[in-house]
Amino acid sequence: MESDEEDFVFYGTPIEREEEINSRKRKSVADASGTMRTLPHWKQEVRDEEGRRRFHGAFTGGFSAGHYNTVGSKEGWTPQSFTSSRKNRAEVKQQDILNFLDEDEKAELEGRGLGTSSQFDTFGFTAVELARKQADKEQQQRPSAIPGPVPDELIVPAAESIGVKLLLKMGWRQGRAIKDSRANSRYDARRDARKAFLRFSTGDVKSEIPNSEPFQDDDDTVSQPAKGDVSSSQSTPVYVINPKQDLHGLGFDPYKHAPEFMEMKRARTAGNQEGYKKVFSTKNNLFGFRTERIASGFGIGALEELDVEDEDVYTSGYEFEETYVQEEDEPPSKMITDGKQKLIGRKVEGVLLGFRIASKSDYQMERFDPPVIPKDFIPHHKFAGPLIGGYKLADTPPVEVPPPEDNNLKLLIEGVATLVARCGKLFEDLSREKNKSNPLFSFLNGGTGQEYYSRKLWEEQLKHVDQPKPQFDDKLSPSLERMTAESRGKILGEKPLARSAKELNPPAASDGVHVQYNLSDTFTKPTSSGGMPEVVKPFKDDPAKQERFEQFLKEKYQGGLRTGAPVGAINMSEAARARERLDFEAAAEAIEKGKGLKEAKLSAEHFVDFLATGGMQFTSGGVEEVKDTKLEGLMMEKMFPKREEYQWRPAPILCKRFDLIDPYMGKPPPAPRMRSKLDTLIFTSNSVKSTKVEESLTSTPSSLPQSNAEEKDTDGSENVNEKVEVECVDRPVDLYKAIFSDESDDEESTSTLKQAEDPNKKVEVANTTLNRLIAGDFLESLGKELGLEVPSDLPPSKKGQTAAPQNEAVPVGEQNVNILSVEDKPYPTPSTTGILSDHRMTGFAGHDLNSRKEDNKLDHNSAGSGSKIMESTSSKKTSGKVYEEEMYKDKGDRKANNRRVDIHRDCSGSSSSEDEKRRKRSRRRRYKSSDSEDSASSDDYHTKEHSKSRDRKKGSSQGKKSQRKHSKHHKHRHRDSSPRDHHRSRKDRTVSEREKHRWRD
Amino acid sequence: MSVSELPTKESNVLKGHEGGVLAARFNSDGNYCLSCGKDRTIRLWNPHRGIHIKTYKSHGREVRDVHVTPDNSKLCSCGGDRQVFYWDVSTGRVIRKFRGHDGEVNAVKFNEYASVVVSAGYDQSLRAWDCRSHSTEPIQIIDTFSDSVMSVCLTKSEIIGGSVDGTVRSFDMRIGREISDNLGQPVNCISMSNDANCILASCLDSTLRLLDRSSGELLQEYKGHTCKSYKLDCCLTNTDAHVTGGSEDGFVYFWDLVDASVVSKFRAHSSVVTSVSYHPKDKCMITASVDGTIRVWKT
Repeated sequence: MESDEEDFVFYGTPIEREEEINSRKRKSVADASGTMRTLPHWKQEVRDEEGRRRFHGAFTGGFSAGHYNTVGSKEGWTPQSFTSSRKNRAEVKQQDILNFLDEDEKAELEGRGLGTSSQFDTFGFTAVELARKQADKEQQQRPSAIPGPVPDELIVPAAESIGVKLLLKMGWRQGRAIKDSRANSRYDARRDARKAFLRFSTGDVKSEIPNSEPFQDDDDTVSQPAKGDVSSSQSTPVYVINPKQDLHGLGFDPYKHAPEFMEMKRARTAGNQEGYKKVFSTKNNLFGFRTERIASGFGIGALEELDVEDEDVYTSGYEFEETYVQEEDEPPSKMITDGKQKLIGRKVEGVLLGFRIASKSDYQMERFDPPVIPKDFIPHHKFAGPLIGGYKLADTPPVEVPPPEDNNLKLLIEGVATLVARCGKLFEDLSREKNKSNPLFSFLNGGTGQEYYSRKLWEEQLKHVDQPKPQFDDKLSPSLERMTAESRGKILGEKPLARSAKELNPPAASDGVHVQYNLSDTFTKPTSSGGMPEVVKPFKDDPAKQERFEQFLKEKYQGGLRTGAPVGAINMSEAARARERLDFEAAAEAIEKGKGLKEAKLSAEHFVDFLATGGMQFTSGGVEEVKDTKLEGLMMEKMFPKREEYQWRPAPILCKRFDLIDPYMGKPPPAPRMRSKLDTLIFTSNSVKSTKVEESLTSTPSSLPQSNAEEKDTDGSENVNEKVEVECVDRPVDLYKAIFSDESDDEESTSTLKQAEDPNKKVEVANTTLNRLIAGDFLESLGKELGLEVPSDLPPSKKGQTAAPQNEAVPVGEQNVNILSVEDKPYPTPSTTGILSDHRMTGFAGHDLNSRKEDNKLDHNSAGSGSKIMESTSSKKTSGKVYEEEMYKDKGDRKANNRRVDIHRDCSGSSSSEDEKRRKRSRRRRYKSSDSEDSASSDDYHTKEHSKSRDRKKGSSQGKKSQRKHSKHHKHRHRDSSPRDHHRSRKDRTVSEREKHRWRD
Repeated sequence: MSVSELPTKESNVLKGHEGGVLAARFNSDGNYCLSCGKDRTIRLWNPHRGIHIKTYKSHGREVRDVHVTPDNSKLCSCGGDRQVFYWDVSTGRVIRKFRGHDGEVNAVKFNEYASVVVSAGYDQSLRAWDCRSHSTEPIQIIDTFSDSVMSVCLTKSEIIGGSVDGTVRSFDMRIGREISDNLGQPVNCISMSNDANCILASCLDSTLRLLDRSSGELLQEYKGHTCKSYKLDCCLTNTDAHVTGGSEDGFVYFWDLVDASVVSKFRAHSSVVTSVSYHPKDKCMITASVDGTIRVWKT
């Protein structure tokens, strides 16, 4: 083509560019088609149809994408990163198609959009649109305090709409209402007239104003909103936005059915906004002033709505308003009329459509004089009684006086002072009166020790005042809150009848038991009857339960007669009762501990004396407060030093280092008590019941005098306690050894089988005196046995000491201390001492109950050790009887000696009862799992037998029991190597053989 | 033993402690004595010749009690730094420090074989530490006390502790029982009679109480001295005929064991007599006081 060019004549100018482009095009086409292909790919370039290197990658990206090619910046596309921190919150970006368009594309798009040119923008819409756009642009460019797009309302159209233009041409001016101007003018005229009128008629407003007002009214109410609207429509918003200003839910219209109110509200809010003031102040300066005051927020919360009533409340009676008014150069004379005017004006504003103000209101504020306070009224009441301890404290403290030489007198004085400080002057007066003749109490009447008494009293009061309040509240409030019949009775000193016990017992037995119960109350010291001090009322909020608790404590610590039935409400289930008993145990334990920490100040006898004389009137039923702490002190004095025993587990290594044998042989500590308690709760019920029944059985037919019975009972309780004590001293090692060593002896049976056949019948023949003898024997032999068994460190002398007196019927009181201290030994802290001691106890009890059906169950049971004490008390009786019976039948020739032996055996069995129980349990388990295990092992044999003779369960269990007993005993006897015992054991063996045969048949 | 044979004549004054001496103890044969005090030191003396032999320094705070093994080879001490130190007597170095008490340690004792140290702490516990192993963990913690344990005594098979909660508790390792005797008064110090049948407990109501260990019976009360706020030692004489103890007014009292009468009292120190220790065999006694001296008394 180039070669031909010279031969042609050219007309016009050649279009060179075209050619160039073409060549470029061609080139690119060629490239695309094939030439480029020869190049290696890293040299290949992609060009657009114009030959430009504009390849943008797989989609439209590519290596050069963004680099000044598409984006317009050197960096090109940067992926959008999202960062948001607490200070800089990432804002949600609204994406738009424009964001993704190139300039040229945008230009294209722009060209396509339709719009009216400003020239023909009749209604100004386009102008507004444009203005908005412009504003948007500016907004983006300059930083602004308020982010986001400009509110529409702020943008005023640049051009006026044609309508405005027309209006303007018609004489309308900006800021005027389109309403007819006549109304305005008329209004103005009228206002002027009224002003003038008011100025003239200062004198007789009353007659004149009502005439003029109604007319003014309807005009006002109608025209006001309109005016407000117009005046505020200077800058016509593009959209009429109704901002939400109230706190109602969206779409909720409180004025739905009462548009009048809405109207009013709108007027008011509009008035609060700009323009309102102007309008209304021109109308009525007083009214305007008023609203302004309110609008400034005086006395009205931010969220409250301004109401007519609000104004009413706050306007009148504020002086500064008047001064303010005076500053406005209005004559003071006018103020009076204005006051009236004000009132009316206000009301006018608030009147609804179709209503008018009453010309005269019949509502008159009626005023009452305050009541006359009597002359002798003292505003602060002081209690004369004991409640306020500080009534004397303002006095100068009495001189410190050395205490009187007589120690008893000193103690007495201190005691009385404490009581008086606690209970108030009343108590002092009472005791003074009561003890007029008593020389010991002469200090109350100014005798010896009077100074010391006053000093002491002062000190006590001081002490008392220091911490009275919380204590007081604690004590008082619960009783105030729930005044039940019981608590009221307690306060009044009534003695509640033990109705629960009565209802529990069979009617035949109930009377005797009941009398016993009451008697026991009267015979025991009053110190204990209501005796638990207020401080140690753990069940204060449940009077019934507290009562039961007290009963429980009494039975626990005191001896005396038992009601036989457990002290529980009838409506309680057995399980609940057992649980409650556990609670009681724990509480009693806690109380016991707490007592130990307190001081004992009064000597025992003195306080008893004092109580008997001075404090008696309070103690008839159980007003505890009088006696509480002092009593406690007294008890403590008796108690200290108090010995308790717990289980303790020395670490094996400690024993090793001390070169001792670990008493527990490295056995793991007992499981926590709670579990076992729950396990065994199930089994309690039956045994308890049975005990109950038997108790009633034994108690009813006994024709012995009451006192005898009581004695017996206390005796029994002591025995129990002794047993407990002795029981606890045992060495566990011995037990295990003993049991596992003489397994083979188990085969031997006992001589006690005959009585097994009908224990109930025998129970009836029981003789109480013999019972006591047996008990004594039992304990003695027990002591002996243990004296042999226990390590030397616990001297046998002590054992003998504790056990022997039983035999000789030593006065009860002397042992009481011991018993008290000993009694709660086995269950001091539920967690630590736990099962083992418990087991022992219950094992013990179970053993005693061996003539019972529930024997094995009881054995298993470790709950309610407290109840066990009682049970074992009663059961021992029966078991004793049983033995008695057996003796009479089998070996009539042998008398008390044999009895002793029998009991001896019994006790040896009891000492090993823990292991026995354990083994029994395991046996039972085995038995459950496989009955087929029919080995020669005596254990299994007996279990089988046991299961077979369900109907003869009593007998079989008895036999089993005694077997175990015997086996145990044999060992000891071997140790003792007493010939008589040997003889005895041989005899037993033969007897047991016989029995076995009989059973097998 | 008549009253005239009581050690009431001062034979030596051992001076050296700066600040109060909190405890003074004879060793097992009575030839030497150890003292410890507020100056954080333990001192070894020959009381009969009045010679200061050695000073043991390592405690970070005051040393409250010290005890020496029967073979005089090891010491143990305790104090305000909540640790129990196990010392070598001859080298004067600490062999082991037993940490674990959560409070000050009030008293410390070796057992018979010097294999275990039992300490009584303000943290209401008794702790037994093993001297034979290298473990510094207590091998037994007894925490049945409800207040600070002030004093500890050991027999062959028992650990006996006296506590501010008013109890004297003996823990018998042979039968695994704890026997608690509640005296109702804070117990300051306990010491055992030489026949090991009785416990003498010094209570904060200015009374010494003698308890029968087997029965828990209160055998006698000894009054007359002042003991209301300090830990004062008490002990029985070597013949168990008399009871002796210090008083807060600087006096030393001797009571007859049986009838509890004050058979002798004399002013031993200018201020509180913190510790008394009676010679195991002879009529000799040492007293320590907060005035910083230890005095040796002989007949």
